Amino acid sequence: MSDDIEPGLELLERQNRFVSEHFRRIFVQIYHLVQNVADAQDLTQEAFIKALQHQEQLKDGQKAAQWLSRIATNTAIDFLRRSSRATFSELEDGLESGWETPEQILLRSEHREYLEDGLRLLSPRERAALIMRDVEGLPAEEVAQRLNCSKATVRSHIANGRTKFRRYMEKRKR
Amino acid sequence: MRHPNQEILALHAGGDLGPFARWRTSRHLARCESCREEVAAFDEVRRSLPGLAEVPDLQWNRLAAEIKANIRLGLAAGECVRSADPPLRQSGLIHGGRAVVAFACAMVLVVTGMVLERPLPRAAREEGPMVQNTQYGIEVTAGGETLGLTNNGVQRVTYSLDAQGSMGARYVDPETGYVTINTVYVQ
Repeated sequence: MSDDIEPGLELLERQNRFVSEHFRRIFVQIYHLVQNVADAQDLTQEAFIKALQHQEQLKDGQKAAQWLSRIATNTAIDFLRRSSRATFSELEDGLESGWETPEQILLRSEHREYLEDGLRLLSPRERAALIMRDVEGLPAEEVAQRLNCSKATVRSHIANGRTKFRRYMEKRKR
Repeated sequence: MRHPNQEILALHAGGDLGPFARWRTSRHLARCESCREEVAAFDEVRRSLPGLAEVPDLQWNRLAAEIKANIRLGLAAGECVRSADPPLRQSGLIHGGRAVVAFACAMVLVVTGMVLERPLPRAAREEGPMVQNTQYGIEVTAGGETLGLTNNGVQRVTYSLDAQGSMGARYVDPETGYVTINTVYVQ
Protein backbone atom coordinates (compact mmCIF):
# COMPACT_ATOMS: atom_id res chain seq x y z
CA MET A 1 0.00 0.00 0.00
CA SER A 2 1.26 3.44 -0.58
CA ASP A 3 0.16 6.75 0.79
CA ASP A 4 -0.18 9.58 -1.62
CA ILE A 5 -0.96 13.23 -1.28
CA GLU A 6 -4.00 14.54 -3.12
CA PRO A 7 -3.12 17.27 -5.64
CA GLY A 8 -3.02 20.60 -3.86
CA LEU A 9 -6.05 22.81 -3.74
CA GLU A 10 -4.17 25.38 -5.75
CA LEU A 11 -3.59 22.90 -8.57
CA LEU A 12 -7.24 21.83 -8.51
CA GLU A 13 -8.35 25.43 -8.64
CA ARG A 14 -6.01 26.15 -11.54
CA GLN A 15 -7.34 23.13 -13.42
CA ASN A 16 -10.92 24.17 -12.71
CA ARG A 17 -10.25 27.68 -13.95
CA PHE A 18 -8.62 26.34 -17.09
CA VAL A 19 -11.63 24.11 -17.80
CA SER A 20 -14.12 26.91 -17.05
CA GLU A 21 -12.33 29.35 -19.33
CA HIS A 22 -12.23 27.07 -22.34
CA PHE A 23 -14.92 24.45 -21.88
CA ARG A 24 -17.73 26.07 -23.87
CA ARG A 25 -15.55 27.01 -26.82
CA ILE A 26 -13.99 23.55 -26.97
CA PHE A 27 -17.36 21.83 -26.64
CA VAL A 28 -18.81 23.85 -29.53
CA GLN A 29 -15.72 23.27 -31.64
CA ILE A 30 -15.95 19.51 -31.13
CA TYR A 31 -19.73 19.52 -31.55
CA HIS A 32 -19.35 21.13 -34.96
CA LEU A 33 -17.13 18.25 -36.01
CA VAL A 34 -19.08 15.33 -34.58
CA GLN A 35 -22.60 16.86 -34.60
CA ASN A 36 -23.67 14.91 -31.55
CA VAL A 37 -24.02 16.18 -27.98
CA ALA A 38 -23.11 12.97 -26.15
CA ASP A 39 -20.01 12.37 -28.27
CA ALA A 40 -19.04 16.03 -28.00
CA GLN A 41 -19.25 15.80 -24.21
CA ASP A 42 -17.09 12.67 -24.06
CA LEU A 43 -14.54 14.12 -26.46
CA THR A 44 -14.42 17.45 -24.62
CA GLN A 45 -13.57 15.57 -21.44
CA GLU A 46 -10.99 13.50 -23.27
CA ALA A 47 -9.37 16.59 -24.76
CA PHE A 48 -9.12 18.35 -21.39
CA ILE A 49 -7.71 15.25 -19.71
CA LYS A 50 -5.05 14.95 -22.41
CA ALA A 51 -4.23 18.64 -22.10
CA LEU A 52 -4.01 18.62 -18.31
CA GLN A 53 -1.91 15.46 -18.31
CA HIS A 54 0.60 17.09 -20.65
CA GLN A 55 0.61 20.64 -19.31
CA GLU A 56 4.38 20.62 -19.24
CA GLN A 57 4.38 20.58 -23.06
CA LEU A 58 2.86 24.03 -23.08
CA LYS A 59 5.77 26.45 -23.04
CA ASP A 60 3.87 29.65 -23.71
CA GLY A 61 0.80 30.11 -21.51
CA GLN A 62 -0.64 32.67 -23.91
CA LYS A 63 -0.95 30.01 -26.56
CA ALA A 64 -3.00 27.74 -24.29
CA ALA A 65 -6.22 28.34 -26.24
CA GLN A 66 -4.60 27.50 -29.56
CA TRP A 67 -2.84 24.46 -28.11
CA LEU A 68 -6.08 23.20 -26.56
CA SER A 69 -7.96 23.75 -29.83
CA ARG A 70 -5.41 21.61 -31.62
CA ILE A 71 -5.76 18.82 -29.05
CA ALA A 72 -9.56 19.05 -29.35
CA THR A 73 -9.45 18.88 -33.15
CA ASN A 74 -7.12 15.87 -33.10
CA THR A 75 -9.29 14.14 -30.53
CA ALA A 76 -12.40 14.67 -32.66
CA ILE A 77 -10.65 13.58 -35.87
CA ASP A 78 -9.36 10.42 -34.17
CA PHE A 79 -12.89 9.70 -33.02
CA LEU A 80 -14.29 10.18 -36.53
CA ARG A 81 -11.62 7.88 -37.92
CA ARG A 82 -12.31 5.24 -35.29
CA SER A 83 -16.03 5.30 -35.63
CA SER A 84 -16.25 6.31 -39.29
CA ARG A 85 -19.81 7.06 -38.51
CA ALA A 86 -21.58 9.65 -36.49
CA THR A 87 -25.01 9.74 -35.03
CA PHE A 88 -26.82 12.91 -35.67
CA SER A 89 -29.92 14.95 -35.18
CA GLU A 90 -30.78 15.30 -31.59
CA LEU A 91 -34.13 16.92 -31.64
CA GLU A 92 -34.79 15.60 -28.18
CA ASP A 93 -31.81 17.50 -26.84
CA GLY A 94 -33.57 20.77 -27.11
CA LEU A 95 -33.07 21.98 -30.64
CA GLU A 96 -36.63 23.13 -30.61
CA SER A 97 -37.18 26.69 -29.56
CA GLY A 98 -40.40 27.78 -27.95
CA TRP A 99 -41.58 29.93 -30.83
CA GLU A 100 -41.21 27.32 -33.59
CA THR A 101 -44.10 25.35 -34.95
CA PRO A 102 -43.76 21.55 -35.22
CA GLU A 103 -43.57 21.95 -39.02
CA GLN A 104 -40.65 24.35 -38.72
CA ILE A 105 -38.87 22.06 -36.32
CA LEU A 106 -39.38 19.15 -38.68
CA LEU A 107 -38.11 21.14 -41.66
CA ARG A 108 -35.05 22.28 -39.79
CA SER A 109 -34.34 18.78 -38.59
CA GLU A 110 -34.65 17.44 -42.14
CA HIS A 111 -32.32 20.11 -43.45
CA ARG A 112 -29.79 19.28 -40.79
CA GLU A 113 -29.97 15.58 -41.57
CA TYR A 114 -29.49 16.40 -45.23
CA LEU A 115 -26.31 18.35 -44.44
CA GLU A 116 -25.03 15.71 -42.06
CA ASP A 117 -25.50 12.99 -44.68
CA GLY A 118 -23.29 15.03 -46.97
CA LEU A 119 -20.61 15.39 -44.30
CA ARG A 120 -20.39 11.63 -43.97
CA LEU A 121 -18.97 11.44 -47.48
CA LEU A 122 -15.91 13.43 -46.48
CA SER A 123 -12.76 12.09 -44.85
CA PRO A 124 -12.28 13.23 -41.23
CA ARG A 125 -9.65 15.82 -42.21
CA GLU A 126 -11.68 17.15 -45.16
CA ARG A 127 -14.66 17.41 -42.91
CA ALA A 128 -12.68 19.21 -40.19
CA ALA A 129 -11.15 21.64 -42.70
CA LEU A 130 -14.48 22.39 -44.35
CA ILE A 131 -16.29 22.95 -41.06
CA MET A 132 -13.59 25.19 -39.67
CA ARG A 133 -13.47 27.23 -42.86
CA ASP A 134 -17.10 27.37 -44.01
CA VAL A 135 -19.01 26.86 -40.76
CA GLU A 136 -16.77 28.53 -38.19
CA GLY A 137 -15.34 31.00 -40.70
CA LEU A 138 -11.73 30.54 -39.61
CA PRO A 139 -9.00 31.73 -41.99
CA ALA A 140 -7.06 28.98 -43.77
CA GLU A 141 -3.92 29.78 -41.73
CA GLU A 142 -5.70 29.00 -38.49
CA VAL A 143 -7.25 25.85 -39.93
CA ALA A 144 -3.73 24.75 -40.91
CA GLN A 145 -2.49 25.41 -37.38
CA ARG A 146 -5.28 23.41 -35.82
CA LEU A 147 -4.81 20.52 -38.20
CA ASN A 148 -1.04 20.77 -37.86
CA CYS A 149 -0.44 20.78 -41.60
CA SER A 150 0.51 23.23 -44.34
CA LYS A 151 -1.81 25.83 -45.82
CA ALA A 152 -1.56 24.08 -49.20
CA THR A 153 -2.80 20.84 -47.65
CA VAL A 154 -5.66 22.67 -45.99
CA ARG A 155 -6.64 24.25 -49.31
CA SER A 156 -6.64 20.84 -50.89
CA HIS A 157 -8.87 19.46 -48.10
CA ILE A 158 -11.24 22.42 -48.44
CA ALA A 159 -11.46 22.09 -52.22
CA ASN A 160 -12.06 18.34 -52.00
CA GLY A 161 -14.67 18.86 -49.32
CA ARG A 162 -16.57 21.47 -51.34
CA THR A 163 -16.37 19.34 -54.48
CA LYS A 164 -17.69 16.20 -52.76
CA PHE A 165 -20.41 18.16 -51.03
CA ARG A 166 -21.43 19.78 -54.27
CA ARG A 167 -21.73 16.40 -56.00
CA TYR A 168 -23.80 15.16 -53.09
CA MET A 169 -26.17 18.16 -53.29
CA GLU A 170 -26.58 17.73 -57.03
CA LYS A 171 -27.29 14.04 -56.62
CA ARG A 172 -29.91 14.72 -53.98
CA LYS A 173 -31.62 17.30 -56.18
CA ARG A 174 -32.19 14.79 -58.93
CA MET B 1 -10.18 28.57 -74.01
CA ARG B 2 -8.45 26.78 -71.15
CA HIS B 3 -10.65 26.48 -68.04
CA PRO B 4 -9.42 26.47 -64.44
CA ASN B 5 -9.80 23.09 -62.76
CA GLN B 6 -12.47 22.24 -60.17
CA GLU B 7 -10.11 22.73 -57.25
CA ILE B 8 -9.32 26.29 -58.31
CA LEU B 9 -13.00 27.10 -58.79
CA ALA B 10 -13.93 25.56 -55.44
CA LEU B 11 -11.28 27.65 -53.71
CA HIS B 12 -12.22 30.80 -55.62
CA ALA B 13 -15.80 30.48 -54.37
CA GLY B 14 -14.58 30.82 -50.79
CA GLY B 15 -11.92 33.45 -51.44
CA ASP B 16 -9.19 30.96 -50.64
CA LEU B 17 -6.87 31.59 -53.57
CA GLY B 18 -3.69 33.62 -53.45
CA PRO B 19 -3.78 37.14 -55.03
CA PHE B 20 -2.36 36.14 -58.41
CA ALA B 21 -4.47 33.00 -58.83
CA ARG B 22 -7.54 34.97 -57.74
CA TRP B 23 -6.87 37.69 -60.32
CA ARG B 24 -6.31 35.14 -63.09
CA THR B 25 -9.47 33.22 -62.19
CA SER B 26 -11.56 36.39 -61.97
CA ARG B 27 -10.38 37.38 -65.44
CA HIS B 28 -11.38 33.99 -66.79
CA LEU B 29 -14.76 34.08 -65.07
CA ALA B 30 -15.54 37.46 -66.59
CA ARG B 31 -15.73 35.83 -70.01
CA CYS B 32 -16.76 32.23 -69.23
CA GLU B 33 -20.33 31.53 -68.27
CA SER B 34 -19.91 27.80 -67.62
CA CYS B 35 -17.15 28.46 -65.06
CA ARG B 36 -19.31 31.14 -63.44
CA GLU B 37 -22.02 28.53 -63.03
CA GLU B 38 -19.49 26.18 -61.45
CA VAL B 39 -18.44 28.84 -58.97
CA ALA B 40 -22.09 29.60 -58.20
CA ALA B 41 -22.65 25.91 -57.40
CA PHE B 42 -19.70 25.91 -55.00
CA ASP B 43 -21.02 29.10 -53.48
CA GLU B 44 -24.33 27.38 -52.81
CA VAL B 45 -22.48 24.67 -50.92
CA ARG B 46 -20.77 27.31 -48.80
CA ARG B 47 -24.04 29.08 -48.09
CA SER B 48 -25.77 25.88 -47.00
CA LEU B 49 -23.09 24.73 -44.55
CA PRO B 50 -23.57 27.31 -41.79
CA GLY B 51 -26.77 25.38 -40.98
CA LEU B 52 -24.42 23.03 -39.14
CA ALA B 53 -23.14 25.76 -36.83
CA GLU B 54 -26.20 25.63 -34.66
CA VAL B 55 -25.66 24.11 -31.24
CA PRO B 56 -28.64 22.75 -29.29
CA ASP B 57 -29.88 24.68 -26.27
CA LEU B 58 -28.06 23.00 -23.46
CA GLN B 59 -27.94 23.44 -19.73
CA TRP B 60 -24.41 24.74 -19.83
CA ASN B 61 -23.91 24.91 -16.06
CA ARG B 62 -24.94 21.33 -15.58
CA LEU B 63 -22.84 20.22 -18.51
CA ALA B 64 -19.83 22.12 -17.15
CA ALA B 65 -20.24 20.53 -13.73
CA GLU B 66 -20.48 17.05 -15.24
CA ILE B 67 -17.51 17.60 -17.50
CA LYS B 68 -15.38 18.98 -14.65
CA ALA B 69 -16.24 16.02 -12.41
CA ASN B 70 -15.42 13.54 -15.16
CA ILE B 71 -12.16 15.31 -15.96
CA ARG B 72 -11.12 15.05 -12.31
CA LEU B 73 -12.05 11.39 -12.33
CA GLY B 74 -10.12 10.83 -15.56
CA LEU B 75 -7.04 12.54 -14.19
CA ALA B 76 -7.23 10.51 -10.97
CA ALA B 77 -7.64 7.29 -12.95
CA GLY B 78 -4.68 8.24 -15.13
CA GLU B 79 -2.52 8.81 -12.06
CA CYS B 80 -3.67 5.56 -10.60
CA VAL B 81 -2.80 3.59 -13.73
CA ARG B 82 0.60 5.28 -13.94
CA SER B 83 1.45 4.51 -10.33
CA ALA B 84 0.29 0.89 -10.72
CA ASP B 85 2.42 0.30 -13.76
CA PRO B 86 5.90 1.74 -13.20
CA PRO B 87 8.22 1.91 -16.18
CA LEU B 88 10.69 -0.96 -16.50
CA ARG B 89 13.71 1.21 -15.83
CA GLN B 90 12.40 1.95 -12.36
CA SER B 91 11.54 -1.59 -11.41
CA GLY B 92 15.11 -2.72 -10.76
CA LEU B 93 17.47 -1.66 -8.04
CA ILE B 94 16.70 1.31 -5.85
CA HIS B 95 19.52 3.81 -5.99
CA GLY B 96 21.30 4.83 -2.79
CA GLY B 97 19.89 8.36 -2.47
CA ARG B 98 16.35 7.23 -3.11
CA ALA B 99 16.72 4.42 -0.58
CA VAL B 100 17.79 6.90 2.10
CA VAL B 101 14.81 9.17 1.33
CA ALA B 102 12.44 6.20 1.28
CA PHE B 103 13.80 4.94 4.60
CA ALA B 104 13.48 8.38 6.19
CA CYS B 105 9.89 8.69 4.95
CA ALA B 106 9.05 5.25 6.26
CA MET B 107 10.45 6.15 9.67
CA VAL B 108 8.43 9.37 9.77
CA LEU B 109 5.31 7.40 8.89
CA VAL B 110 5.98 4.80 11.60
CA VAL B 111 6.59 7.45 14.26
CA THR B 112 3.50 9.40 13.15
CA GLY B 113 1.50 6.19 13.20
CA MET B 114 2.65 5.37 16.72
CA VAL B 115 1.79 8.86 17.95
CA LEU B 116 -1.64 8.76 16.32
CA GLU B 117 -2.38 5.26 17.62
CA ARG B 118 -1.94 6.28 21.26
CA PRO B 119 -5.23 5.75 23.06
CA LEU B 120 -7.18 8.97 23.33
CA PRO B 121 -9.58 9.87 26.09
CA ARG B 122 -12.91 8.14 25.47
CA ALA B 123 -14.81 11.41 25.22
CA ALA B 124 -12.58 12.61 22.37
CA ARG B 125 -13.01 9.36 20.43
CA GLU B 126 -16.77 9.43 20.59
CA GLU B 127 -17.23 12.95 19.31
CA GLY B 128 -18.22 11.87 15.82
CA PRO B 129 -17.73 9.30 13.09
CA MET B 130 -14.20 8.38 12.19
CA VAL B 131 -12.88 7.32 8.79
CA GLN B 132 -9.63 5.40 8.44
CA ASN B 133 -7.80 3.11 6.07
CA THR B 134 -6.97 -0.46 7.06
CA GLN B 135 -5.33 -3.31 5.23
CA TYR B 136 -8.75 -4.23 3.79
CA GLY B 137 -9.96 -0.82 2.69
CA ILE B 138 -11.69 2.22 4.13
CA GLU B 139 -13.56 1.89 7.40
CA VAL B 140 -16.05 4.26 8.98
CA THR B 141 -16.61 3.90 12.70
CA ALA B 142 -19.50 5.61 14.46
CA GLY B 143 -21.25 4.84 17.74
CA GLY B 144 -19.25 1.66 18.25
CA GLU B 145 -20.23 0.25 14.86
CA THR B 146 -17.98 -0.09 11.83
CA LEU B 147 -18.75 -0.07 8.14
CA GLY B 148 -16.03 -1.13 5.73
CA LEU B 149 -15.48 -0.61 2.00
CA THR B 150 -12.98 -3.28 0.93
CA ASN B 151 -10.44 -3.07 -1.86
CA ASN B 152 -11.19 -6.58 -3.18
CA GLY B 153 -7.87 -7.85 -1.90
CA VAL B 154 -5.84 -5.49 -4.08
CA GLN B 155 -2.59 -4.69 -2.29
CA ARG B 156 -1.37 -1.65 -4.18
CA VAL B 157 -3.81 1.08 -3.20
CA THR B 158 -3.35 4.82 -3.15
CA TYR B 159 -5.17 6.55 -0.31
CA SER B 160 -5.91 10.24 -0.13
CA LEU B 161 -7.29 12.34 2.66
CA ASP B 162 -9.23 15.56 2.35
CA ALA B 163 -9.39 18.42 4.85
CA GLN B 164 -13.20 18.17 4.79
CA GLY B 165 -13.02 14.66 6.20
CA SER B 166 -13.34 12.50 3.10
CA MET B 167 -11.03 9.60 2.34
CA GLY B 168 -10.35 8.16 -1.10
CA ALA B 169 -8.87 4.88 -2.26
CA ARG B 170 -7.70 4.33 -5.84
CA TYR B 171 -6.46 1.08 -7.29
CA VAL B 172 -6.15 -0.97 -10.44
CA ASP B 173 -7.37 -4.53 -10.34
CA PRO B 174 -4.31 -6.57 -11.43
CA GLU B 175 -6.49 -9.23 -13.10
CA THR B 176 -9.05 -7.16 -14.96
CA GLY B 177 -7.20 -3.86 -15.26
CA TYR B 178 -10.29 -2.01 -14.03
CA VAL B 179 -9.65 1.22 -12.21
CA THR B 180 -11.64 1.73 -9.02
CA ILE B 181 -11.90 5.02 -7.19
CA ASN B 182 -13.75 5.00 -3.86
CA THR B 183 -14.38 8.16 -1.92
CA VAL B 184 -16.02 8.10 1.49
CA TYR B 185 -17.41 11.33 2.90
CA VAL B 186 -18.03 11.63 6.62
CA GLN B 187 -20.64 14.06 7.81
